Amino acid sequence: MERHGSTIPDAGNARLSLGDVFDKYRGSFYTLIVLVILLIIWNFAANKIQNTLLLPYLSETAIEFFTAWVDPVIMSNLGLTLKRVFTGFLYAAIIGVPLGLIMGYSATAMQSLAPIMNSIRQVPIMAWVPLSIIWFGLGDGPTVFLIAMSAVFPLAINTIAGVQGIDSNYYNAARSMGASRKDIVRDIVVPGAMPNILTGCRLAMGAGWMSVICAEFIATSAGFGFLMVEAQVRLETAQLYALMVMSGLVGYAIDKVFIAAERKMTSWRFKDGFVGS
Amino acid sequence: MDLLEVKEISKTFTQKSRPPHIVLEKLSFSVERGQYVSLLGPSGCGKTTLLTMLGGFMPADTGQIFLAGKKVEGPGPDRGFVFQNYALFPWMTVKENILYSLKVQKFSKKEREQRLQELLDISHLHGSENKYPIQLSGGMQQRVAVVRALASRPEILLLDEPLGAIDFQMRELLQEELAALVEGAKTTVVMVTHDVNESVYLSDRVIVMSANKGRIIKDAYIDLPRSRSRQSKAFKEHVFELTDLVRQAFQERDCDRQADISVRDMDMGSDSNFIASYNRMHSKYTNVANGRSRAAK
Repeated sequence: MERHGSTIPDAGNARLSLGDVFDKYRGSFYTLIVLVILLIIWNFAANKIQNTLLLPYLSETAIEFFTAWVDPVIMSNLGLTLKRVFTGFLYAAIIGVPLGLIMGYSATAMQSLAPIMNSIRQVPIMAWVPLSIIWFGLGDGPTVFLIAMSAVFPLAINTIAGVQGIDSNYYNAARSMGASRKDIVRDIVVPGAMPNILTGCRLAMGAGWMSVICAEFIATSAGFGFLMVEAQVRLETAQLYALMVMSGLVGYAIDKVFIAAERKMTSWRFKDGFVGS
Repeated sequence: MDLLEVKEISKTFTQKSRPPHIVLEKLSFSVERGQYVSLLGPSGCGKTTLLTMLGGFMPADTGQIFLAGKKVEGPGPDRGFVFQNYALFPWMTVKENILYSLKVQKFSKKEREQRLQELLDISHLHGSENKYPIQLSGGMQQRVAVVRALASRPEILLLDEPLGAIDFQMRELLQEELAALVEGAKTTVVMVTHDVNESVYLSDRVIVMSANKGRIIKDAYIDLPRSRSRQSKAFKEHVFELTDLVRQAFQERDCDRQADISVRDMDMGSDSNFIASYNRMHSKYTNVANGRSRAAK
């Protein structure tokens, strides 16, 4: 922090008044109000409908939600799902980022690959399910494949945009200083595209998290998505609600982690070197 | 033999469904070692095209450029190029930017460290070496850009409107900084500018180029002692004379180009402002002259 010459007052040093605290958490405070209103509406609606299969009571769902976090079965399935997501994401990054770098840098690569990539991209992700089961059988294989498939395109496309957005004067400057092609790729292309690559990572992770649940409905007998199907089959709607809320929260947390990593890794973009959200 | 020799270079831009536009036609000049030369002219006169070719970023259609007897055939570290927007690598610290040419040319760590200290000395950037460009003021960014270009001791420094985007007040201050910096480095400079005052303040020699095929309409030596006073009579006379010539240079553009100015060149939008500002400047100096003659009476 120090070397960036931050001008943001340190919360530890300045004495914060109640107003300052409010200003700092203003956004969270508003979110909280909206959330409470939504929950109240839910409660009223549930009391009115009186059918826990369609809409369980708030209290019932809340109990399911909080016990889920200490339920070893749910937690181990969540862990399994997260492992699949990160594995799929890793494969997507290994393929998507270099592909995007090449397509962004070379017009020839772009012309030859873009039509193919854009066609494959149009195939709905669920349409890969039958084929992935044929290829990999049931279990981790098809889920990881589907995650990688849905994550690779946001990654590649953002990387391409990142490379194409690099000011041509950066290339000229590097060449005039004697940089070789290898130097240019390492020192200009990759760092120049980095903000977009990280945005791509975020979108890819989101896409992966969304598709893993779907993939687990069909292609596997374990994981977070599988638990949802189970809850539905057993008519435990309250648990299904709780699991859905959990999946939303976990996705949100992953996104937050990626945002923080993005800021930290490209702190050169921020005037005060401020890292955080 | 002169350090830089430009021999009859020509450049024509061809665009679809438009007549070819001759930017430069058989342009020749040479620059002695240690000279500070400004290429002055209205936008569209080909001065930036010329500098781009000196940098090796764009080939000439015909003709050759020699630097220290060696033919220019692409960009290289024998020429330090300072871009109009500086093109500092935003993801590198000041230190990494300055030392980039030495890094890619595989200088030893000891040499790099030693050169860094020298460059920080002449640019007064001590204490900022670990900052990122975004954290620097415009003036500091300019100094980083210049010393970065100087780092591997190029034969010549090429400056593309180095103060083009900076407001008037700041400009004069930065011109002084630039003058001191270049003087300290004892290097040869070719600078592109459209600011008459700037060219007179900084250069040993001003080459005025015409909007018509980049013809050289004046090759003027500015024989004023450094550091120069913008208030001195001799300074104002140079500015006055060159302002007149630049206006002439602007009017030399061919008629068919004038018809499609607004669609033709991206930076042509500023041309009406450009004429207005030159006229204003001219009348200002005329008024000064009139005032003086009235006082004499």
